[in-house]
Amino acid sequence: MLKPIASLMLLLATLAGGITARAQGSDSLPEYQLKALFLYNFAKFVDWPAGTFPETNSPIIIGVLGKDRFGPILDKTINQPLNGHPFVIRRFATVAEADGCHILFISDQETRRLDEILRSLKGRSILTVSEIENFARQGGLIQFITVDDKIRFLINNNAARSSGLRISSQLLNLAVKIYPDTPAAK
Amino acid sequence: MEADSRGRQWTRTAARISRISLLLLAWFTTSVTRADTNLLTLSLSDLMTKSIMRVSEPLSSVPAAVAVVTGNDIHRSGARTIPEALRLVPGLNVAQLDAAQWAVSARGFNDVFANKLLVMQDGRSIYTPLFSGVFWDVQGTMMEDIDRIEVVRGPGATLWGANAVNGVINIITKSAKETQGTLLTAGGGTQYRGFAGARYGGQLNENTHYRFYAAYANHNDAVLPNGNEAFDSWHLARGGFRVDWDAGDQNSFTFQGDGYAGWFHQIYGLFNPANPPTFSSFVRDEYEPRGGNVLGRWTRVFSASSELKLQVYYDRTEREAVIFREERDTVDLDLQHQFALGERNNVVWGFGYRVTSDREANNPTITFTPDNRTVHLFSAFVQDELTMLRNDAGENVVNLTFGSKFEHNDYTGIEIQPGARLLWAPRQRHTLWASISRAVRTPSRAEDDIALTQPTPGGPVTIYGNRRFESEELTAYELGYRARLHETFSVDAAAFYNVYDNLRSIEFGPSPTQPPGPFPTFPLHAENRLRGETYGAEFSAEWRVNDRWRLRPAYTFFEMQLRAGPGSTDTMSLQDEGKNPQHQFSLRSSMTLPHNIDFDCTFRYVDNLSAINVSSYVTADVRLGWRINRHWEIAVVGQNLVENRHAEFRPSFITTQTADIPRSVYGQVTCRF
Repeated sequence: MLKPIASLMLLLATLAGGITARAQGSDSLPEYQLKALFLYNFAKFVDWPAGTFPETNSPIIIGVLGKDRFGPILDKTINQPLNGHPFVIRRFATVAEADGCHILFISDQETRRLDEILRSLKGRSILTVSEIENFARQGGLIQFITVDDKIRFLINNNAARSSGLRISSQLLNLAVKIYPDTPAAK
Repeated sequence: MEADSRGRQWTRTAARISRISLLLLAWFTTSVTRADTNLLTLSLSDLMTKSIMRVSEPLSSVPAAVAVVTGNDIHRSGARTIPEALRLVPGLNVAQLDAAQWAVSARGFNDVFANKLLVMQDGRSIYTPLFSGVFWDVQGTMMEDIDRIEVVRGPGATLWGANAVNGVINIITKSAKETQGTLLTAGGGTQYRGFAGARYGGQLNENTHYRFYAAYANHNDAVLPNGNEAFDSWHLARGGFRVDWDAGDQNSFTFQGDGYAGWFHQIYGLFNPANPPTFSSFVRDEYEPRGGNVLGRWTRVFSASSELKLQVYYDRTEREAVIFREERDTVDLDLQHQFALGERNNVVWGFGYRVTSDREANNPTITFTPDNRTVHLFSAFVQDELTMLRNDAGENVVNLTFGSKFEHNDYTGIEIQPGARLLWAPRQRHTLWASISRAVRTPSRAEDDIALTQPTPGGPVTIYGNRRFESEELTAYELGYRARLHETFSVDAAAFYNVYDNLRSIEFGPSPTQPPGPFPTFPLHAENRLRGETYGAEFSAEWRVNDRWRLRPAYTFFEMQLRAGPGSTDTMSLQDEGKNPQHQFSLRSSMTLPHNIDFDCTFRYVDNLSAINVSSYVTADVRLGWRINRHWEIAVVGQNLVENRHAEFRPSFITTQTADIPRSVYGQVTCRF
């Protein structure tokens, strides 16, 4: 009968397609693998003050402050250097230990201590990233949000400038919102 | 001659399909020559088109046959209505009768008036107390707003109450925070002549988010078995809003509402006393259903293990057809409290009150006595989840969940529905569960009060309701096994043995409680003299073949044996055994190709339905989507592709046209910003 033949052909086309396809990842990735990839890209599109990376192979240090929701996926995903700078991943329990980081991911469990954390990091050239509600509005640099199952981010460009960091316009253009909330900032 | 042209159409389709697959194959092979790329080379814009993968782990601790269809699954399948999305659920019987009517059930008893399933949307019951089933033609919301659909097969009576006999379906929409920004979508094709949707989400302040949506769909006629167009096209507009307010650490509020208005074509077989010798007329009707609802919910979190939920909703539906006219108002209040008791107990208890009031307009075909009625339902439940054994790592190894629902309804008084479920996790990532439960399906307005007259070859027949109609009863024995056998492979199996008593039977003779109608028709009436058993098994698996390809097969086996009890004159209802397929099989393939192209196929096989002369069928739905960038997405969807047209189900009780489902295709553009 022709009916099963057509079905079989469609099935075979599907199977064949799957076996030979080499794609850049599926349409969905685990949440924290996606966020790790975003962190890598933030490193790409942010400039630290001159002298932050004295050698061409000075490491870029990513710190995770508080409860680590990434787990080993963070180290496994960011496994290649950027422009010659290898990545080093460190985990901290308190902000005092978080010295020397270039990017600091602050766990959502630190919500109550957020004010204190941002105060102690003030003036230091650290790209602070978090999922905490209102993180960007309160002075954090980049805040992750989820919209329709996709990851988006908010940027506080003023706070970035006062930290001595320069965020590339490529990154700013992709942000859902830029603080402070003035027309000029958009 | 028909077979010949069918054969030619076949060859053309097969040729078309092989041509497309060859093209795809060629495209893939050329991309193979590029070196294996890794995730770090994905651009920021690319990352922003990726969805967060939902991990289905939480189901492993549920001692029931549960399946969750995520919003992403629905998006990838191309389903534009809720029943189409329900086809993705392993174990459900979903059959399309015509352009607007569907028969949906679990574990047997499927019918356009199937009455053994509890269906809810965001906690609001969407089955009608008129016949304890769902008017699927008007259900829905903006498909892009659905977060997930949770389906429990088997009695959910302990928590959900009467009518959750064979299963519970809960359609859950996304919170307002998750639907911020603007979304516009539009499309059209052969069966879906045109559809469009718009949604806007914003925030009033840091803690308050809202969204508004509006959607419209215009659907073509299906086809008659002889190939001509049926008369069942429809169009429907709907809109709604949702506001979520996070009032601090402990309190959150939700306020939402929807409204819809539709115009549907249908041909009804009416009883016409002025038209001998058949006393019937077939009338082309345009029926107009309308409805709306508002719902408010307050959740208060006391601690990590204690939460209180209070919900109130008002629902209004109007349906105006030549055969039937009803206005119905429902108000429902529900309170639920969950708390931990000591180290080992997790208790949930609650109570609810629902009042539903209707006004029916009577006609010779359908008459209700009385023509308006208000019914009250009081309910309370309590359930305890007892951890009997923990392992050294503090994880639950043996869990016993037991409880009961208590209801008082205006039809049968007090109903008690107890249940017990045992969960055993012998190893990490392996779960075994077993349960025994009792569930009842309380009488509906129709079973009590209707007089439905339909023309038959032997003359007009009237089925009368019966105020003494009792609840149908179920005692269910279930077993299940769930395991993650490998990082990339997991299985889920469930088996059940259901014993039914007091099932509805249609007996000869006038009703003991309803007065005979004014016309001399042959009387039948509703009683509870049918009983029977059903048993079956449901298997589903998920195999992540690689990063970009996921396969999900599912198989369901089902057997039903019905018996007429002593004194029963019903031979008709025994035929219902043959309205359920013995075997159902589906295979879903989800693939992501280079350049952000999604390719999804769903193959379905459904066994024949001997009682209604519907032969077995294989069909396939295919979606090819392209996520162009973080703003734009386009897709082409083909549905029911294998055969030119095929039948899935047939009408019952109320004569409407007999239609087949044709092959169809549509295209869609979506823009988000």
